Amino acid sequence: MDIQHYIESGILEEYALGLLSEAERADVERMAGLHPQVRQELDEALRGVEAYAQAHAVTPPAGMRERVLSGWQQAIRPETPALAMTASATPQPAPSAAAGEAVVRQMPPPAEVQPSRSRWLMAASVALLMLSGLGNVLLYNRLQESEANLLAARNEQARFAATQQAVERRLDARTQELNVLRSEQFRAVQLKGTPKAPQALARVYYNPGTRAVYVDVRRLPAPPAGKQYQLWALDNGKPVDAGVLTAATAVGDSIQQMKDIASAQAFAMTVEDEGGSAAPTLSTMTVIGNL
Amino acid sequence: MSASPPESAALATEQLLVQRLRDRDEAAMTIFYDKYSAALYGVILRIVQKEETAEDVLQEAMVKIWHSFPSYDAGKGRLYTWVLNICRNLAIDKIRSRQYRVGSRTQPIEESAALRQAAEPTFRPEHIGLQEMTRQLSPDQRQIVDLLYFGGFTQSEVAEELNLPLGTVKTRARAAIKVLSKLIR
Repeated sequence: MDIQHYIESGILEEYALGLLSEAERADVERMAGLHPQVRQELDEALRGVEAYAQAHAVTPPAGMRERVLSGWQQAIRPETPALAMTASATPQPAPSAAAGEAVVRQMPPPAEVQPSRSRWLMAASVALLMLSGLGNVLLYNRLQESEANLLAARNEQARFAATQQAVERRLDARTQELNVLRSEQFRAVQLKGTPKAPQALARVYYNPGTRAVYVDVRRLPAPPAGKQYQLWALDNGKPVDAGVLTAATAVGDSIQQMKDIASAQAFAMTVEDEGGSAAPTLSTMTVIGNL
Repeated sequence: MSASPPESAALATEQLLVQRLRDRDEAAMTIFYDKYSAALYGVILRIVQKEETAEDVLQEAMVKIWHSFPSYDAGKGRLYTWVLNICRNLAIDKIRSRQYRVGSRTQPIEESAALRQAAEPTFRPEHIGLQEMTRQLSPDQRQIVDLLYFGGFTQSEVAEELNLPLGTVKTRARAAIKVLSKLIR
Protein backbone atom coordinates (compact mmCIF):
# COMPACT_ATOMS: atom_id res chain seq x y z
CA MET A 1 0.00 0.00 0.00
CA ASP A 2 1.53 3.27 -1.14
CA ILE A 3 1.07 5.61 1.82
CA GLN A 4 1.30 8.80 -0.18
CA HIS A 5 -1.30 7.50 -2.58
CA TYR A 6 -3.55 6.61 0.33
CA ILE A 7 -3.17 10.06 1.85
CA GLU A 8 -4.02 11.75 -1.43
CA SER A 9 -7.00 9.54 -2.14
CA GLY A 10 -9.23 11.90 -0.19
CA ILE A 11 -10.38 9.26 2.26
CA LEU A 12 -8.91 11.11 5.23
CA GLU A 13 -10.93 14.21 4.37
CA GLU A 14 -14.03 12.06 3.96
CA TYR A 15 -13.33 10.67 7.41
CA ALA A 16 -13.01 14.18 8.81
CA LEU A 17 -16.25 15.25 7.14
CA GLY A 18 -18.04 12.26 8.62
CA LEU A 19 -18.88 10.72 5.26
CA LEU A 20 -17.64 7.19 5.99
CA SER A 21 -19.43 4.14 7.31
CA GLU A 22 -18.38 2.60 10.60
CA ALA A 23 -16.38 -0.11 8.78
CA GLU A 24 -14.58 2.45 6.59
CA ARG A 25 -13.83 4.57 9.65
CA ALA A 26 -12.32 1.60 11.45
CA ASP A 27 -10.19 0.95 8.41
CA VAL A 28 -8.85 4.51 8.35
CA GLU A 29 -8.17 4.33 12.09
CA ARG A 30 -6.27 1.12 11.54
CA MET A 31 -4.13 2.78 8.85
CA ALA A 32 -3.51 5.77 11.10
CA GLY A 33 -2.41 3.39 13.82
CA LEU A 34 0.06 1.75 11.46
CA HIS A 35 1.51 4.81 9.73
CA PRO A 36 2.49 7.95 11.66
CA GLN A 37 2.27 9.96 8.45
CA VAL A 38 -1.36 8.94 7.94
CA ARG A 39 -2.05 9.71 11.58
CA GLN A 40 -0.61 13.18 11.18
CA GLU A 41 -2.56 13.93 8.00
CA LEU A 42 -5.76 12.59 9.54
CA ASP A 43 -5.29 14.72 12.65
CA GLU A 44 -4.76 17.80 10.51
CA ALA A 45 -7.90 17.17 8.49
CA LEU A 46 -9.84 16.57 11.69
CA ARG A 47 -8.54 19.75 13.27
CA GLY A 48 -9.58 21.73 10.23
CA VAL A 49 -13.11 20.36 10.11
CA GLU A 50 -13.52 20.49 13.87
CA ALA A 51 -12.33 24.07 14.04
CA TYR A 52 -14.93 24.86 11.40
CA ALA A 53 -17.56 23.07 13.45
CA GLN A 54 -16.36 24.83 16.59
CA ALA A 55 -16.67 28.17 14.83
CA HIS A 56 -20.39 27.51 14.62
CA ALA A 57 -20.71 27.10 18.37
CA VAL A 58 -23.90 28.54 19.81
CA THR A 59 -24.49 28.97 23.50
CA PRO A 60 -27.66 26.98 24.24
CA PRO A 61 -30.61 29.08 25.40
CA ALA A 62 -31.11 29.63 29.12
CA GLY A 63 -32.98 26.82 30.84
CA MET A 64 -31.75 24.22 28.39
CA ARG A 65 -28.94 23.03 30.64
CA GLU A 66 -31.41 22.05 33.35
CA ARG A 67 -33.76 20.35 30.89
CA VAL A 68 -31.11 18.41 29.02
CA LEU A 69 -29.25 17.27 32.11
CA SER A 70 -32.37 16.15 33.94
CA GLY A 71 -33.70 14.57 30.75
CA TRP A 72 -30.43 12.74 30.37
CA GLN A 73 -30.59 11.58 33.95
CA GLN A 74 -34.13 10.28 33.54
CA ALA A 75 -33.11 8.51 30.36
CA ILE A 76 -30.27 6.64 32.02
CA ARG A 77 -32.26 5.88 35.19
CA PRO A 78 -34.27 2.93 33.81
CA GLU A 79 -30.93 1.17 33.59
CA THR A 80 -30.85 0.66 37.32
CA PRO A 81 -34.34 -0.82 37.84
CA ALA A 82 -33.84 -3.00 34.77
CA LEU A 83 -30.64 -4.39 36.24
CA ALA A 84 -32.33 -4.95 39.57
CA MET A 85 -35.12 -6.82 37.84
CA THR A 86 -32.85 -9.14 35.92
CA ALA A 87 -30.89 -9.74 39.10
CA SER A 88 -34.00 -10.67 41.07
CA ALA A 89 -35.27 -12.76 38.19
CA THR A 90 -32.29 -15.09 38.24
CA PRO A 91 -33.14 -17.04 41.40
CA GLN A 92 -36.65 -17.79 40.09
CA PRO A 93 -36.97 -21.56 39.65
CA ALA A 94 -38.82 -21.63 36.33
CA PRO A 95 -36.03 -20.61 33.96
CA SER A 96 -33.30 -22.49 35.79
CA ALA A 97 -35.40 -25.64 35.96
CA ALA A 98 -36.14 -25.37 32.28
CA ALA A 99 -32.47 -24.89 31.57
CA GLY A 100 -31.59 -27.89 33.70
CA GLU A 101 -34.14 -30.15 32.06
CA ALA A 102 -33.50 -28.98 28.56
CA VAL A 103 -30.42 -31.14 28.39
CA VAL A 104 -32.23 -34.43 28.96
CA ARG A 105 -35.64 -33.67 27.58
CA GLN A 106 -36.79 -34.50 24.07
CA MET A 107 -37.67 -31.66 21.75
CA PRO A 108 -40.87 -30.39 23.31
CA PRO A 109 -43.37 -28.24 21.43
CA PRO A 110 -42.10 -24.71 21.26
CA ALA A 111 -44.74 -23.48 23.69
CA GLU A 112 -43.15 -25.55 26.43
CA VAL A 113 -39.58 -24.71 25.53
CA GLN A 114 -40.11 -21.29 26.93
CA PRO A 115 -42.64 -21.53 29.74
CA SER A 116 -41.63 -18.08 30.89
CA ARG A 117 -42.33 -16.70 27.45
CA SER A 118 -45.82 -18.18 27.26
CA ARG A 119 -46.45 -16.97 30.77
CA TRP A 120 -45.30 -13.57 29.72
CA LEU A 121 -47.58 -13.74 26.71
CA MET A 122 -50.45 -14.79 28.93
CA ALA A 123 -49.75 -11.99 31.36
CA ALA A 124 -49.43 -9.57 28.50
CA SER A 125 -52.73 -10.76 27.01
CA VAL A 126 -54.50 -10.37 30.32
CA ALA A 127 -52.98 -6.95 30.80
CA LEU A 128 -54.00 -5.97 27.29
CA LEU A 129 -57.51 -7.28 27.82
CA MET A 130 -57.82 -5.32 31.05
CA LEU A 131 -56.42 -2.28 29.38
CA SER A 132 -58.84 -2.71 26.54
CA GLY A 133 -61.72 -3.14 29.01
CA LEU A 134 -60.69 0.00 30.78
CA GLY A 135 -60.49 1.76 27.46
CA ASN A 136 -64.00 0.55 26.64
CA VAL A 137 -65.37 1.82 29.93
CA LEU A 138 -63.74 5.17 29.34
CA LEU A 139 -65.00 5.30 25.78
CA TYR A 140 -68.52 4.28 26.86
CA ASN A 141 -68.56 7.06 29.45
CA ARG A 142 -67.37 9.48 26.85
CA LEU A 143 -70.07 8.26 24.48
CA GLN A 144 -72.78 8.76 27.09
CA GLU A 145 -71.48 12.17 27.85
CA SER A 146 -71.46 12.98 24.16
CA GLU A 147 -75.01 11.75 23.75
CA ALA A 148 -76.19 13.83 26.68
CA ASN A 149 -74.46 16.80 25.20
CA LEU A 150 -75.99 16.11 21.83
CA LEU A 151 -79.47 15.90 23.37
CA ALA A 152 -78.95 19.16 25.19
CA ALA A 153 -77.69 20.73 22.01
CA ARG A 154 -80.72 19.47 20.09
CA ASN A 155 -83.12 20.84 22.72
CA GLU A 156 -81.34 24.10 22.64
CA GLN A 157 -81.53 24.08 18.88
CA ALA A 158 -85.28 23.29 18.92
CA ARG A 159 -85.93 26.07 21.37
CA PHE A 160 -83.93 28.41 19.27
CA ALA A 161 -85.82 27.36 16.15
CA ALA A 162 -89.18 27.94 17.89
CA THR A 163 -88.05 31.36 19.03
CA GLN A 164 -86.85 32.04 15.57
CA GLN A 165 -90.20 31.06 14.10
CA ALA A 166 -92.05 33.28 16.53
CA VAL A 167 -89.76 36.13 15.62
CA GLU A 168 -90.37 35.43 11.94
CA ARG A 169 -94.11 35.52 12.49
CA ARG A 170 -93.89 38.77 14.39
CA LEU A 171 -91.71 40.17 11.69
CA ASP A 172 -94.20 39.11 9.03
CA ALA A 173 -97.02 40.74 10.97
CA ARG A 174 -95.00 43.92 11.40
CA THR A 175 -94.08 43.94 7.75
CA GLN A 176 -97.72 43.59 6.84
CA GLU A 177 -98.68 46.36 9.24
CA LEU A 178 -96.01 48.56 7.78
CA ASN A 179 -97.33 47.82 4.31
CA VAL A 180 -100.79 48.83 5.49
CA LEU A 181 -99.51 52.04 6.99
CA ARG A 182 -97.53 52.87 3.88
CA SER A 183 -100.16 51.81 1.39
CA GLU A 184 -101.85 54.66 -0.42
CA GLN A 185 -105.02 52.62 -0.88
CA PHE A 186 -105.69 52.66 2.86
CA ARG A 187 -107.52 55.57 4.31
CA ALA A 188 -106.84 56.45 7.89
CA VAL A 189 -109.81 57.26 10.08
CA GLN A 190 -109.21 58.96 13.40
CA LEU A 191 -111.54 57.66 16.11
CA LYS A 192 -111.74 60.21 18.90
CA GLY A 193 -112.96 59.67 22.42
CA THR A 194 -116.58 60.25 23.24
CA PRO A 195 -117.49 62.20 26.40
CA LYS A 196 -117.48 58.81 28.15
CA ALA A 197 -113.72 58.53 27.53
CA PRO A 198 -112.35 61.86 26.26
CA GLN A 199 -108.72 60.65 26.37
CA ALA A 200 -109.43 57.59 24.22
CA LEU A 201 -107.92 57.54 20.77
CA ALA A 202 -107.73 54.96 18.01
CA ARG A 203 -107.24 54.77 14.30
CA VAL A 204 -108.82 52.62 11.62
CA TYR A 205 -107.20 51.97 8.26
CA TYR A 206 -109.75 51.12 5.63
CA ASN A 207 -109.12 49.99 2.06
CA PRO A 208 -112.37 50.35 0.14
CA GLY A 209 -110.90 48.46 -2.81
CA THR A 210 -109.97 45.29 -0.91
CA ARG A 211 -112.43 45.94 1.96
CA ALA A 212 -109.62 45.32 4.42
CA VAL A 213 -109.92 46.97 7.81
CA TYR A 214 -107.11 47.39 10.35
CA VAL A 215 -107.34 48.96 13.74
CA ASP A 216 -104.55 50.67 15.63
CA VAL A 217 -105.25 51.64 19.25
CA ARG A 218 -103.45 54.61 20.78
CA ARG A 219 -105.20 54.85 24.10
CA LEU A 220 -108.26 53.03 25.37
CA PRO A 221 -109.47 52.61 28.95
CA ALA A 222 -109.08 48.99 30.07
CA PRO A 223 -112.36 47.14 29.53
CA PRO A 224 -114.12 45.66 32.60
CA ALA A 225 -113.59 41.98 33.26
CA GLY A 226 -115.47 39.76 30.83
CA LYS A 227 -115.85 42.61 28.35
CA GLN A 228 -114.17 43.33 25.01
CA TYR A 229 -114.01 46.24 22.66
CA GLN A 230 -115.88 45.70 19.41
CA LEU A 231 -115.46 47.67 16.20
CA TRP A 232 -118.43 48.73 14.16
CA ALA A 233 -118.57 50.13 10.66
CA LEU A 234 -121.41 52.56 10.11
CA ASP A 235 -122.80 52.16 6.62
CA ASN A 236 -125.56 54.64 5.91
CA GLY A 237 -126.14 54.87 9.66
CA LYS A 238 -126.38 51.10 10.08
CA PRO A 239 -123.82 49.47 12.38
CA VAL A 240 -121.98 46.53 10.79
CA ASP A 241 -119.91 44.22 13.01
CA ALA A 242 -116.20 44.46 12.21
CA GLY A 243 -115.04 42.05 14.96
CA VAL A 244 -113.71 42.27 18.51
CA LEU A 245 -110.32 43.60 19.50
CA THR A 246 -107.88 41.23 21.11
CA ALA A 247 -106.42 42.21 24.45
CA ALA A 248 -103.10 42.95 22.76
CA THR A 249 -104.71 45.27 20.28
CA ALA A 250 -106.73 47.01 23.00
CA VAL A 251 -103.59 47.97 24.91
CA GLY A 252 -101.96 49.22 21.70
CA ASP A 253 -99.44 46.41 21.23
CA SER A 254 -100.12 45.83 17.59
CA ILE A 255 -102.30 46.59 14.64
CA GLN A 256 -105.12 44.07 14.14
CA GLN A 257 -106.88 43.15 10.94
CA MET A 258 -110.66 43.22 11.43
CA LYS A 259 -113.49 41.76 9.36
CA ASP A 260 -113.81 42.96 5.78
CA ILE A 261 -116.20 45.83 5.35
CA ALA A 262 -117.87 46.47 1.98
CA SER A 263 -118.60 50.09 2.59
CA ALA A 264 -118.54 52.53 5.50
CA GLN A 265 -118.67 56.23 6.24
CA ALA A 266 -117.72 56.00 9.91
CA PHE A 267 -116.28 53.62 12.50
CA ALA A 268 -116.97 53.31 16.21
CA MET A 269 -116.05 51.11 19.15
CA THR A 270 -118.24 49.91 21.98
CA VAL A 271 -117.64 47.73 24.99
CA GLU A 272 -119.44 44.38 24.61
CA ASP A 273 -119.49 41.02 26.31
CA GLU A 274 -116.57 38.82 25.42
CA GLY A 275 -116.96 37.38 21.96
CA GLY A 276 -118.89 40.43 20.75
CA SER A 277 -122.54 41.11 20.15
CA ALA A 278 -124.75 41.25 17.10
CA ALA A 279 -125.75 44.82 17.82
CA PRO A 280 -123.75 47.58 19.48
CA THR A 281 -124.52 48.74 23.02
CA LEU A 282 -124.54 52.42 22.17
CA SER A 283 -124.28 53.55 25.80
CA THR A 284 -120.77 52.11 25.91
CA MET A 285 -119.49 53.81 22.74
CA THR A 286 -115.91 54.85 23.51
CA VAL A 287 -114.53 56.25 20.24
CA ILE A 288 -116.00 57.30 16.90
CA GLY A 289 -114.70 58.87 13.67
CA ASN A 290 -115.81 59.64 10.12
CA LEU A 291 -114.02 58.90 6.89
CA MET B 1 -14.46 31.61 30.22
CA SER B 2 -12.40 33.84 27.94
CA ALA B 3 -9.01 32.85 29.24
CA SER B 4 -8.23 29.46 27.85
CA PRO B 5 -5.86 27.22 29.75
CA PRO B 6 -2.63 26.10 28.12
CA GLU B 7 -2.80 23.05 25.86
CA SER B 8 -1.31 20.64 28.37
CA ALA B 9 -3.70 21.71 31.11
CA ALA B 10 -6.59 21.35 28.67
CA LEU B 11 -5.38 17.89 27.82
CA ALA B 12 -5.09 17.02 31.49
CA THR B 13 -8.63 18.11 32.23
CA GLU B 14 -9.84 16.17 29.21
CA GLN B 15 -8.08 13.04 30.43
CA LEU B 16 -9.55 13.53 33.86
CA LEU B 17 -13.01 13.94 32.40
CA VAL B 18 -12.60 10.82 30.27
CA GLN B 19 -11.50 8.89 33.34
CA ARG B 20 -14.48 10.02 35.35
CA LEU B 21 -16.88 9.16 32.54
CA ARG B 22 -15.26 5.77 32.21
CA ASP B 23 -15.89 5.31 35.94
CA ARG B 24 -19.60 6.06 35.33
CA ASP B 25 -19.39 9.22 37.40
CA GLU B 26 -22.67 10.95 36.65
CA ALA B 27 -21.51 14.31 37.94
CA ALA B 28 -18.89 14.27 35.19
CA MET B 29 -21.68 14.59 32.64
CA THR B 30 -22.50 18.03 34.02
CA ILE B 31 -18.91 19.06 33.49
CA PHE B 32 -19.05 17.54 30.04
CA TYR B 33 -22.15 19.59 29.26
CA ASP B 34 -20.61 22.83 30.43
CA LYS B 35 -17.52 22.20 28.41
CA TYR B 36 -18.95 20.94 25.15
CA SER B 37 -22.59 21.98 24.91
CA ALA B 38 -22.01 25.20 22.95
CA ALA B 39 -19.83 23.48 20.35
CA LEU B 40 -22.16 20.50 19.98
CA TYR B 41 -25.39 22.48 20.10
CA GLY B 42 -24.06 24.85 17.45
CA VAL B 43 -23.37 22.03 15.02
CA ILE B 44 -26.65 20.25 15.74
CA LEU B 45 -28.60 23.47 15.35
CA ARG B 46 -26.88 24.20 12.09
CA ILE B 47 -27.94 20.77 10.82
CA VAL B 48 -31.52 20.55 12.10
CA GLN B 49 -32.26 24.29 11.96
CA LYS B 50 -34.88 24.15 14.71
CA GLU B 51 -34.11 24.93 18.31
CA GLU B 52 -36.49 22.40 19.88
CA THR B 53 -35.20 19.66 17.62
CA ALA B 54 -31.62 20.64 18.37
CA GLU B 55 -32.33 20.38 22.08
CA ASP B 56 -33.86 16.92 21.63
CA VAL B 57 -30.91 15.76 19.59
CA LEU B 58 -28.41 17.09 22.12
CA GLN B 59 -30.18 15.23 24.91
CA GLU B 60 -30.30 12.07 22.83
CA ALA B 61 -26.60 12.48 22.16
CA MET B 62 -25.85 12.86 25.87
CA VAL B 63 -27.62 9.56 26.52
CA LYS B 64 -25.80 7.87 23.68
CA ILE B 65 -22.44 9.25 24.77
CA TRP B 66 -23.04 7.99 28.28
CA HIS B 67 -24.11 4.53 27.17
CA SER B 68 -21.46 3.99 24.55
CA PHE B 69 -18.64 5.62 26.47
CA PRO B 70 -16.94 2.28 27.18
CA SER B 71 -16.32 2.01 23.43
CA TYR B 72 -14.49 5.34 23.29
CA ASP B 73 -10.79 4.81 22.71
CA ALA B 74 -8.73 7.85 23.69
CA GLY B 75 -5.80 6.38 21.79
CA LYS B 76 -7.64 6.75 18.50
CA GLY B 77 -8.66 10.36 18.83
CA ARG B 78 -9.74 13.20 21.00
CA LEU B 79 -12.98 13.15 22.94
CA TYR B 80 -14.29 16.08 20.90
CA THR B 81 -13.82 14.15 17.66
CA TRP B 82 -15.77 11.25 19.03
CA VAL B 83 -18.69 13.17 20.55
CA LEU B 84 -18.95 15.51 17.58
CA ASN B 85 -19.33 12.51 15.32
CA ILE B 86 -22.08 11.09 17.53
CA CYS B 87 -23.97 14.38 17.57
CA ARG B 88 -23.61 14.96 13.87
CA ASN B 89 -24.83 11.45 13.04
CA LEU B 90 -27.88 11.80 15.28
CA ALA B 91 -28.70 15.20 13.82
CA ILE B 92 -28.38 13.92 10.27
CA ASP B 93 -30.51 10.86 11.08
CA LYS B 94 -33.10 13.30 12.35
CA ILE B 95 -33.24 15.37 9.19
CA ARG B 96 -33.21 12.30 7.00
CA SER B 97 -35.99 10.58 8.91
CA ARG B 98 -38.26 13.55 9.10
CA GLN B 99 -38.21 14.64 5.50
CA TYR B 100 -36.61 17.81 6.69
CA ARG B 101 -35.27 18.71 3.36
CA VAL B 102 -37.84 20.38 1.23
CA GLY B 103 -37.56 22.84 -1.55
CA SER B 104 -34.25 23.89 -2.89
CA ARG B 105 -31.66 21.96 -0.96
CA THR B 106 -28.67 23.46 -2.64
CA GLN B 107 -29.17 26.94 -1.25
CA PRO B 108 -26.27 27.57 1.07
CA ILE B 109 -27.77 27.60 4.50
CA GLU B 110 -28.19 31.16 5.66
CA GLU B 111 -25.90 32.23 8.42
CA SER B 112 -28.24 31.71 11.32
CA ALA B 113 -27.83 32.68 14.92
CA ALA B 114 -24.46 30.97 14.79
CA LEU B 115 -22.67 34.08 13.62
CA ARG B 116 -24.46 36.49 15.85
CA GLN B 117 -24.03 34.61 19.08
CA ALA B 118 -20.85 32.68 18.53
CA ALA B 119 -19.93 31.09 21.81
CA GLU B 120 -16.58 31.23 23.48
CA PRO B 121 -14.64 28.04 23.02
CA THR B 122 -14.09 26.19 26.25
CA PHE B 123 -11.59 23.61 25.18
CA ARG B 124 -9.92 24.80 22.01
CA PRO B 125 -7.08 27.22 22.42
CA GLU B 126 -6.68 27.65 18.67
CA HIS B 127 -10.06 29.19 18.14
CA ILE B 128 -10.64 31.11 14.96
CA GLY B 129 -13.83 32.94 14.16
CA LEU B 130 -16.21 31.80 11.49
CA GLN B 131 -15.86 35.11 9.69
CA GLU B 132 -12.18 34.59 9.17
CA MET B 133 -12.60 30.98 8.05
CA THR B 134 -15.22 31.81 5.51
CA ARG B 135 -13.03 34.58 4.19
CA GLN B 136 -10.31 32.04 3.51
CA LEU B 137 -12.59 29.53 1.80
CA SER B 138 -13.80 30.14 -1.71
CA PRO B 139 -17.60 30.29 -1.99
CA ASP B 140 -17.52 27.00 -3.94
CA GLN B 141 -15.46 25.27 -1.29
CA ARG B 142 -17.60 26.56 1.49
CA GLN B 143 -20.81 25.53 -0.23
CA ILE B 144 -19.54 21.98 -0.61
CA VAL B 145 -18.26 21.71 2.94
CA ASP B 146 -21.56 23.03 4.27
CA LEU B 147 -23.60 20.59 2.20
CA LEU B 148 -21.43 17.66 3.20
CA TYR B 149 -20.94 18.49 6.85
CA PHE B 150 -24.10 20.31 7.86
CA GLY B 151 -26.47 19.21 5.13
CA GLY B 152 -25.96 15.50 5.56
CA PHE B 153 -25.40 15.00 1.86
CA THR B 154 -23.12 12.38 0.38
CA GLN B 155 -20.59 13.46 -2.19
CA SER B 156 -22.60 11.89 -5.01
CA GLU B 157 -25.73 13.70 -3.86
CA VAL B 158 -23.84 16.98 -3.87
CA ALA B 159 -22.52 16.22 -7.35
CA GLU B 160 -26.04 15.54 -8.53
CA GLU B 161 -27.49 18.60 -6.85
CA LEU B 162 -24.87 21.00 -8.11
CA ASN B 163 -24.59 19.28 -11.45
CA LEU B 164 -20.86 18.75 -11.03
CA PRO B 165 -18.66 15.76 -11.76
CA LEU B 166 -18.09 13.70 -8.63
CA GLY B 167 -14.34 14.25 -9.02
CA THR B 168 -14.80 18.01 -8.82
CA VAL B 169 -16.82 17.68 -5.62
CA LYS B 170 -14.11 15.52 -4.05
CA THR B 171 -11.34 17.89 -5.12
CA ARG B 172 -13.16 20.91 -3.73
CA ALA B 173 -13.96 19.20 -0.46
CA ARG B 174 -10.37 18.20 -0.07
CA ALA B 175 -9.08 21.68 -0.93
CA ALA B 176 -11.49 23.22 1.55
CA ILE B 177 -10.23 21.01 4.35
CA LYS B 178 -6.64 21.86 3.46
CA VAL B 179 -7.49 25.55 3.80
CA LEU B 180 -9.13 24.97 7.16
CA SER B 181 -6.25 22.84 8.45
CA LYS B 182 -3.70 25.49 7.49
CA LEU B 183 -5.63 28.09 9.44
CA ILE B 184 -5.37 25.97 12.56
CA ARG B 185 -1.69 25.18 12.31
